[in-house]
Amino acid sequence: MLAVTFADLRFRARQFAIAIIGVGLVLSMALLLTGLAAGFRAEVADTVDGVGAHTWVLSKTAQGRITAFAAFSDLQALAIQNESSADHAAPLLVAPFQVAHGDNKTLTVNLVGVAIGRLGDPQVTSGHRLSGPDDVVVNATLKLANGSIVAIGGKTFHVVGQVTHRTLVGGGPLMYMPLLSAQEVVTSGQPLITAVVTSGTPARIPGGLVALSPNQVINDTVGQLSTAISSIESTRWLMWTVAAAIVASLLYVAALERRRDFAVLKALGSSSRALFLSLVMEAVVVTLMATVLAELVVNLLVPFFSQPVDITFTAYATLPAIAVVVGVLASVSALRRVTGADPAAAFG
Amino acid sequence: MTSRLVIDDLTVAFDSGGYVIKPLDGLSFEAEDGEMVVLLGPSGCGKTTLLSCLAGLLSPTAGRVLYGATDVTALHGAALSDYRRHTVGVVFQAFNLIPSLSARGNVVVPLRLSGVGRSQAKARADELLELVGLGERMHHRPAQLSGGQQQRVAIARALVHDPPLIVADEPTAHLDHIQVEGVLRLLRQLASPGRIIVVSTHDDRVSQLADRVIELAPHFADADRQPEEVRLEAGEVLFRQGEKGELIYFVESGSLEVYRELADGGVEALAVIDAGNYVGELGPILNMPRSASVRALADTVLTGYTVRAFRQMNPHALQVAPR
Repeated sequence: MLAVTFADLRFRARQFAIAIIGVGLVLSMALLLTGLAAGFRAEVADTVDGVGAHTWVLSKTAQGRITAFAAFSDLQALAIQNESSADHAAPLLVAPFQVAHGDNKTLTVNLVGVAIGRLGDPQVTSGHRLSGPDDVVVNATLKLANGSIVAIGGKTFHVVGQVTHRTLVGGGPLMYMPLLSAQEVVTSGQPLITAVVTSGTPARIPGGLVALSPNQVINDTVGQLSTAISSIESTRWLMWTVAAAIVASLLYVAALERRRDFAVLKALGSSSRALFLSLVMEAVVVTLMATVLAELVVNLLVPFFSQPVDITFTAYATLPAIAVVVGVLASVSALRRVTGADPAAAFG
Repeated sequence: MTSRLVIDDLTVAFDSGGYVIKPLDGLSFEAEDGEMVVLLGPSGCGKTTLLSCLAGLLSPTAGRVLYGATDVTALHGAALSDYRRHTVGVVFQAFNLIPSLSARGNVVVPLRLSGVGRSQAKARADELLELVGLGERMHHRPAQLSGGQQQRVAIARALVHDPPLIVADEPTAHLDHIQVEGVLRLLRQLASPGRIIVVSTHDDRVSQLADRVIELAPHFADADRQPEEVRLEAGEVLFRQGEKGELIYFVESGSLEVYRELADGGVEALAVIDAGNYVGELGPILNMPRSASVRALADTVLTGYTVRAFRQMNPHALQVAPR
């Protein structure tokens, strides 16, 4: 039956090609959605893990989210620093902010005030690290070249370095600057911070604050996007369903066209099971070829997305497996046509 | 192995839109080894139904099909599959080749389905395609072959297991006269000791090549005999749906009811035929079974005419309801 299967695939090459393109595009959308959903977590993880802290101390009102802008006094950082078990403690100020660049161009960034040379001060991939009060280091997706000038809260800063994979909340790029400068533009110079990061475990946490592991911070920060992620995942299921529906339609129409063939094959000694498996094989071949197309399309599209798209090897590897399941389920649409084929109809 | 084919009181009945249809009703005949049997009759007379029974693809309502010591009608499951694969070869009407496969692919399929290895199956297919004169075109798909060539591929496919019984359904139906000659010559050659060929056709010219002709629809139109008087009492049946009859009945007195027998056992009244009218003309004219039953509503006197006599008596009358 394998020969019949592949002969039919060749015979209906145009129909199958259309289906492969259709299913491939749908699968590529599903794969992109998988990457987008995973990207929300990946960007937070990259940003939080990139700090290299063992413990994050946040205001209890922040509910574990580094993006919550629940500020507290920077004296708390000093208090934590004084705890012998917290080897190094550094303050952070994280706040969303509008940045003016060029003519009438405004960018929304996540401003991060850091203590120069301490935890949180980013390593750069190009340029140099923060050294002066007017320096900023930017995430590369902002496309602000080293040497660019940006206006933040009425003050002018120079881009001195670039980082990568430092974004929050769906691709919102991070912009690092010295803590005092950040306090100047965000809190009008008030000595407020939103986090203390430590490389050890503080023995005592001041009242109103809470110590969290990086994983807890990641989970809580991503948690604010749970509705968006859930919607994306639901849409992804819809995509799988659409892919299955396309393959099912193709197979159903092919099965209708092949009713006489099925009757003849049964009259020649084929079983319903063998015929059904032949259809399953066709569906699986279509979906697997669509998978290859989807992975090519996704690789072409990902660079055009501003938000992180995190398509892991597992996602790529899982796609063919899901495609096989989609193919098998889609084949069920034609099952009745196969089992119902009467070999005596070959005479008709 | 030499075997006889015995068709014994074979009846096939089925429900068609609520009516009972009997394409075969008590058919019996025998065929000897090496014979070419032609089943002759118009469309709807049961030729294909009979071939389906011979091929083991249709179970009859009653009666038996015996091939040698095998009661085909009693086979089930693996035994039936084995019979289909190895004892009978089928040449379908309209060729029924798989359009996506080459000529060779079509011949290889039944071999592969029965477990023959790929290379062995290809070798056998090539041998058979050479036998039917298509060695040069074995890589062509059906759409690239003429009707006669497709039919020869179908015959090669039927021969893959060298079956002792071959049934061919209207093998010349879609062919021009040159192709017909080639196909019939091939079938005639295949009818040799160790094999029986059963061919259905509505073309009575094919019967010239047959060792035995089975007419499934006897010709009534040419029958010639004196009109006969029939007297029925109220409720008495004149003829039954599905029966074959050669007389057309003129109602001299009394009245008749025409009705259909339904698959669920009920009846459906169709018409009442009074004195001065006639009933049952189309069946004898077209050599078809009666499509309805007729019974007397009161004591009735009728005269039965052959088709020839009826036409002489009433040359313009062909508009009466059921045959």
